[in-house]
Amino acid sequence: MRSTVLITGATGGLGKALAAECAARGWDLFLTDVSEQALAPLVAGLERQFGVTVLYRAANLTDPQARTELWQAIDRLGLRFHFLCNVAGIDFEGPFVERTLDDLHTILRLNIESTVETTRHALSRRDRTRPLHILNVASLAAFYPMPLKAVYASSKRFLLDWSLALNRELREADATVTALCPAGMPSTPLVISLIDAQGLPGRLTTMNTGEVAARAIEDALRGRAICIPGLINQVLRVAGGMVPPQILAALIERRWRQSQKQAAPVLAARQHSPDLAPSTR
Amino acid sequence: MENVTDLTGKTIVVTGATAGIGQAALTALAARGATVIGVGRSEARCEAARRVLLSAYPQAQITYLVADLASQRQVRLLATAIRERLHAAGADHLDVLVNNAGTVSSWYVATEDGYEMQFAVNHLAAFLLTGELLPLLGRAEAGRVLTVSSGSHFRTRIHWQDVMFRRGYGILKAYTQSKLANVLFSAEFNRRMVGLARIRAYAVDPGLVNTQIGLKGTSGLEHWFWGRRAAGGVSPEQAAQTIIHLASAPTLEDPDAVYWNACRPCRPSRIAQRPAEAARLWALSERLCGIIMPEGQLA
Repeated sequence: MRSTVLITGATGGLGKALAAECAARGWDLFLTDVSEQALAPLVAGLERQFGVTVLYRAANLTDPQARTELWQAIDRLGLRFHFLCNVAGIDFEGPFVERTLDDLHTILRLNIESTVETTRHALSRRDRTRPLHILNVASLAAFYPMPLKAVYASSKRFLLDWSLALNRELREADATVTALCPAGMPSTPLVISLIDAQGLPGRLTTMNTGEVAARAIEDALRGRAICIPGLINQVLRVAGGMVPPQILAALIERRWRQSQKQAAPVLAARQHSPDLAPSTR
Repeated sequence: MENVTDLTGKTIVVTGATAGIGQAALTALAARGATVIGVGRSEARCEAARRVLLSAYPQAQITYLVADLASQRQVRLLATAIRERLHAAGADHLDVLVNNAGTVSSWYVATEDGYEMQFAVNHLAAFLLTGELLPLLGRAEAGRVLTVSSGSHFRTRIHWQDVMFRRGYGILKAYTQSKLANVLFSAEFNRRMVGLARIRAYAVDPGLVNTQIGLKGTSGLEHWFWGRRAAGGVSPEQAAQTIIHLASAPTLEDPDAVYWNACRPCRPSRIAQRPAEAARLWALSERLCGIIMPEGQLA
């Protein structure tokens, strides 16, 4: 039996940073994400950098069949887990009516269905000799009704409430559940240019991905129910709680429409520039 | 330009050659008859730079290869493409490798290998590409590995406890450390290749140059800062003079000096001169690149 950390969505910006943070603590890892091509170099780099064992398997977690095969592969390896990072998640930004049914299903399946299922699987394969820590990547969006990101933000709200409830439930079983609620992170050139497009608000709410990962792992080890990296983001959360939700939704809609206008040239430029290829997370 | 040397028959690779110092150096070297290979990240910018060069020097022997040096897989593919290109041109060796490509990022970004972007591009890519091309360089009459460093390496050190700055990332901390790494790499290279007098590494301090570096990966205050900083600098053509001198002078006034500014040998920082620091960085770089650099005798 090998005691391992399971990380989904491992090749995205936050996934890479969490993987490095865990490997730096000497923990062996099992990584998954959609792209084999993205997993292979990351795994090699982590092993070289930290001297830990890193196993991986590519899987499209929106597909129930692929999830089943992933867990069969994990069982063949006989892995046991002491830490789970549910990072895999997706958003298609824009008006609800412009989203296809496929887009909507993908968000619900990956952000909610797969996260819940993965957690259930990991719980029954936990390393019983030590505490189990579960880190669910929600979002600052989980605290607000968000026009133009309606399904995404609601899926993150689900993760937040579910994590809070599960954290209580599992207390007896020596397991903790932490909901990580970060603001946007500058993890890829595309996201960086989108954050830049937001101007000062984007800059103020943004934190380095490495810093977010470090804080998240520390808070998960302490069993904190919610981790909100960044003082300004904590203030935003408290302030948001004092405004009636209908008003909040209107304010957020105005802000997103504004930043969409600012981001339009960035997104148009992406089509012409290979630097700005979107991440595969 | 003073003391123009004919470089016909020489083969030279310059990374980051679609803008700034790299483009200026590539142009000057091609103008002197060298067979040059430029490396850029974007196909479109490579093609544009190639056209500009050929319109000024229709006879230039020039190829551009596309590679994103943030990816070690792409650095290896680039080395293969360079070998093939030289082979096709009938050259069995590489005379000069100019590791010029550099980047700046205002945020912590991990590459596909999970390494911090500035450390990966500014240092590890140069280390790996040099290692991959070493056999070709060793066959040259006087192989030279030039790595563009910076005077900003003076007030920093290697942050061994967290070389990738996963915590406490700062744009200048990561940049200056990578530029110090360039000097340490060049110095250690010469110590390791001591049995081989024909091949030498030099770190080039281009001075303050008016290029786009610092403007591509930043915004707001940092963008303004790098812009202001560049405005006081010399032209890329002037800055490329040291590269051209080190690449083309048949003999150097002080071939053992590792750090060069304005075509003259200078003393790098105290830390840059410490063999223990350099050896430690060398071992780390070998591990992170998954290679073992041959020592002493080559070819």
